[in-house]
Amino acid sequence: MRQTCSVFQPPPARPNRWRHRRMKEKGVQPVRPWMEKPVFISATSGTFEAYVPPEGDGKVSATLAAGAKQKFEFLEKKGKSMMAIRKIRQFDEDFDPKVFAEEAQQIYVDMHKALADFDKVKLHQMVTERAFPMVTNQVRNKTLRWQFVSSLEPPRVVHARCTDVISKENIFAQVTVRFHTKQTLAVYDRFGRLQHGSEVVAKDVLEYVVFEKHVANTYGVWRIHDKIIPDWMPPRQPSYKTYKAEEQTPEETEVAVVEEKEQKVAETAVA
Amino acid sequence: MAASITRVVGLAALESSLFRLSLGTIQRPLLCTSASKLLSPSDTTTPSSLVQKSTLHTSAGNQSWERPRGPRKWLVNNQTKFEPTPFGEQERPAYVCHVKENIKYSPDKMWYVACLVRGMKIDDAIHQLQFVHKKGAVAVREALEEAQELAVRNHNVEFKSNLWVSESFVGKGLVIKGFRRHARRRFGQVKYKHCHYFVTLEEGEPPEHYYPHSRKLTPQEMLEEWLESKRQRTIPMSL
Repeated sequence: MRQTCSVFQPPPARPNRWRHRRMKEKGVQPVRPWMEKPVFISATSGTFEAYVPPEGDGKVSATLAAGAKQKFEFLEKKGKSMMAIRKIRQFDEDFDPKVFAEEAQQIYVDMHKALADFDKVKLHQMVTERAFPMVTNQVRNKTLRWQFVSSLEPPRVVHARCTDVISKENIFAQVTVRFHTKQTLAVYDRFGRLQHGSEVVAKDVLEYVVFEKHVANTYGVWRIHDKIIPDWMPPRQPSYKTYKAEEQTPEETEVAVVEEKEQKVAETAVA
Repeated sequence: MAASITRVVGLAALESSLFRLSLGTIQRPLLCTSASKLLSPSDTTTPSSLVQKSTLHTSAGNQSWERPRGPRKWLVNNQTKFEPTPFGEQERPAYVCHVKENIKYSPDKMWYVACLVRGMKIDDAIHQLQFVHKKGAVAVREALEEAQELAVRNHNVEFKSNLWVSESFVGKGLVIKGFRRHARRRFGQVKYKHCHYFVTLEEGEPPEHYYPHSRKLTPQEMLEEWLESKRQRTIPMSL
C-alpha cells in the first residue's frame, strides 16, 4: 500500500565536484568563503596635541605668588581645553573637571593595585588597549609591592582635547590630569630579590596622566591612555645592580664619520 | 621514501626542507612586510618595540596547525616566580635554563662534552670547550654563551662571570633514517642523528664536589672506613 502522508525526502546525494563542474560550464565563479574579522577601534593610538607641562612645576610652593598664578592659569579662560570640555558635556552632561579629577585619582590607584596583583581583567578596565603593553612591559615574572601613601596636592585637570576617528561623530576625549602624590614601590625579581625601590621609603611623584574615553559610545569608560614625561623631569632612582653600558659599534661610528665627511664636502662645494 | 630522497637529493637540502615544512611554526616568519607597513602607527609616541610584530590574528595566512615538536617543558622553568625572600633569610640564587635544539651530532657522543662541563664555572667551561676536539663542543660553547647573555639581560644577574653550570645534559633529537647498500644484496640502516643540549646556569660559586659520592675521602674518613671493614669481619666458630 502506498504511503499517503508526507515523508521526509533526504536531499539527493550529489558530490560537490559535479556542482563545480556545472558552475564552470555556465561561467559562474565559485562562492568564496566569507572570512572577515570584525575590528572595533576602542582606543586611539596616541595622545592628540599633548600637554606641555611648564618647567619648574611641582617645585614652587602653591602658597607663594608665582605658585598661585600657576594654579589658576587655565580652566577659567576660553581655550581649546574649554571647548573640548564643552564637547564632552554634549555627550556626558554631568562632566565636571573637579569631580573628574578625584575619580581619575581613584582609577590611578586602582590601576596600580591591579598591576601589582596582575589582574588582567581589571587592568583592561582601567587602561586602554594602547597603554596596556606599555604598562605591563616589564612586570611579568616580577613581584610588585605598591602603596599609595597620600596626595600632596589635590589632583587637577590641566588639559583636554577631543578627536574624531574615521567619522566626525565618533569622538574620543583625552583629558590630562596632574597628580602630586607620595607613593612607595618595591620591585622584586623572579627569585624574590629586591630589584628596585623600597617598601618603606616613600617618594614624591609628580605625574601627568592622560585619560581617554570613547564618549560617542554609551558604554565608554574613562581609562588611562598615556603618561607625559617632560624633559625637565629628574631621572628616576638608579637600579641597585651595576650593568655594562652598550658601546657604540664600530659600524655606527664609521657611518657617522662618513656622513660628516659628506656634509663637509657639500659645504665646501657650496662655498 | 624519505630514505631514497636522502641519498639522491643530499642531506643538507632534505634537512632544510624538513625544517621548513614540518619542524614547527616558530621558525617560519609570520610577518608579511606589506601588512606591517599598514598597521604600524604613524605617530612616534608608541615605541617601535610595541608595534605589531605578528599578523597571526589579522592575516589569512597558513591555516593548517602543526604539532609542536622538540622540547616543550624545559624553558617553562624560566617562568617560575618565587615569593620575595622574608627579612633575615638568605637570598635565592638566580638561575637560567637554556636549550639548543637539533644539533647535528649524536647524543651518545655529545654526552661526553656535557659531562665535561658539569659543575664548572662559566668562564672555565667556555675556555675548556675551545680546546675540545669534538664537533659538539662548538654547539655547547654557543649554548653557554647564549645562556650567559640571557641571564644578564632577562634574569637580573649582575655579573656574567658569577655563573656556574649546575645542570648539563643531552636529549635525543630528530633522527632521519636512510639506507645504504652492502655487498651481497645486504642493506644497512643509516641514522642521521640530532641531539638537544640542555643547560642550567646558576648564580654564585660552584660547590667543591659536584658528585659528592665520588669525591676523594679525607684521611679521617678513610680511617673510619678501614676500621668499619675490620669490625665487620666474622670470626667463624667463635664464642
